[in-house]
Amino acid sequence: MKRTLRMLAAVLTGLTFAGMAGAQGAPAPQAPPDYSVFPCLSYTQACGKVATRPPVKKALDGPLNGNPEKGKQLAQARNRGNCLACHVIPGGSQPGTRGPDLSHFGSSGRSDAEAYAMVFDMRTVNPETLMPPFGTNDILNEQELRDVVAYLLTFR
Amino acid sequence: MSEHKRTPALAAAALAFCALAAGNVLGEQANRERYPDAKIDPAKGVEGDVGFSDTIQYWRTEADLERNAGMADKPDEQWKLNGKHMDLDRIDLHPGHMAVDEGAALVKKLAARDAAFLTCLGEGTADLKGKAAAYPKFDAALGRIVTVEGRIEHCAKSVLGEEIPQGKPANTKISVYFKSLSAGVPIKVDIGDGKVMEAYRRGEQSFYARTGQLNMACASCHVPGSIMGHKLRGETPTTPFGDTAHFPTYRTPVGALESIQERFARCHNQMRTQKLKPGDPAYTDLEVFMTVLSNGYPVSVPSAR
Repeated sequence: MKRTLRMLAAVLTGLTFAGMAGAQGAPAPQAPPDYSVFPCLSYTQACGKVATRPPVKKALDGPLNGNPEKGKQLAQARNRGNCLACHVIPGGSQPGTRGPDLSHFGSSGRSDAEAYAMVFDMRTVNPETLMPPFGTNDILNEQELRDVVAYLLTFR
Repeated sequence: MSEHKRTPALAAAALAFCALAAGNVLGEQANRERYPDAKIDPAKGVEGDVGFSDTIQYWRTEADLERNAGMADKPDEQWKLNGKHMDLDRIDLHPGHMAVDEGAALVKKLAARDAAFLTCLGEGTADLKGKAAAYPKFDAALGRIVTVEGRIEHCAKSVLGEEIPQGKPANTKISVYFKSLSAGVPIKVDIGDGKVMEAYRRGEQSFYARTGQLNMACASCHVPGSIMGHKLRGETPTTPFGDTAHFPTYRTPVGALESIQERFARCHNQMRTQKLKPGDPAYTDLEVFMTVLSNGYPVSVPSAR
């Protein structure tokens, strides 16, 4: 019976959301993001022949100058950094557990440049990593990378 | 295989070799990073999960599921049920069940226009019972791999001149009805057919290929040592074994029916990878690979997830 109720609740939630989208004239749909510059599985489209971008060992140019507050927003946003998908970070809800716990990342003795290089492209440190190459694949821009690194380094 | 990503030249050589060995159209993708091969044996079917995620012990049979029902309420354990506990909800409430009736009505209506529609679906007979369990299969007359959804699209077009494309609700509803007539029948994709195995090998290549802005493969979340079994924010990725058995399924978070190939497209969007259309040859090959990993497990349609 418990399972039945749970299923019913889930179904009704789904129907409610489906109904809302139709009834309230949802905002004009955004153009879907174009991921076709990256590799895809197609046998015929151009992205099916795109190569993986090779690892880039990026040196930090000048002082870090990151904004930890902006970095926090980027790190937690599902459609941006989404560090929480895989890492425990202080104050984040529903953290992932596959990546290392970053709760004390700022006490690990890593320099700004080392931390920056890891976020830019973790493959330069660990070729087997599951971590997306945030710099190499343009997930975050230069200033956003600096903001995220500044935020990570505040974890003591 | 794990060292082959450390040396790009070796990786390229290994991939080229695999591609050649499989007669693979992907042979030119030498510069594609890959997740290390989990060495799945297609001959084992769903039992390949033994020594893989090893969760099949909890969901292999209904008795196993009943015995382990308590795991559904434990956040760290629930993923081990592989969603199969939801198949025990034998209530006639969710829209997956309604889709069976709607699909049956659609087939009846289309067959009334030309009875050949039904015999096309049934490959010579009007009896569809048990037939969906053998899909995907190689169709010699069409010269290609055909899924249940692909068969529906083909029969509508060739017999009635009507477009019922894969991924559209009418196609998915008919598929739910078609597959419900095989509910409980063990899946038996014919791995003795060379063409099926060629498709399997191409699908296997795709499973390990890293794609998109996040540079992830299916395998990044669905093999041992990957994210499988770990929390990925609110979710815990599960084993790929047994997974195609309940598709098309009613997705409660989405509020809609979804075929396995629509699910691939949804995954790809989350992986920030260019998604493909249901029925795309690359998705069909991936469905072959995935369905061989369900061989021996009963068709579980209708279902909800």
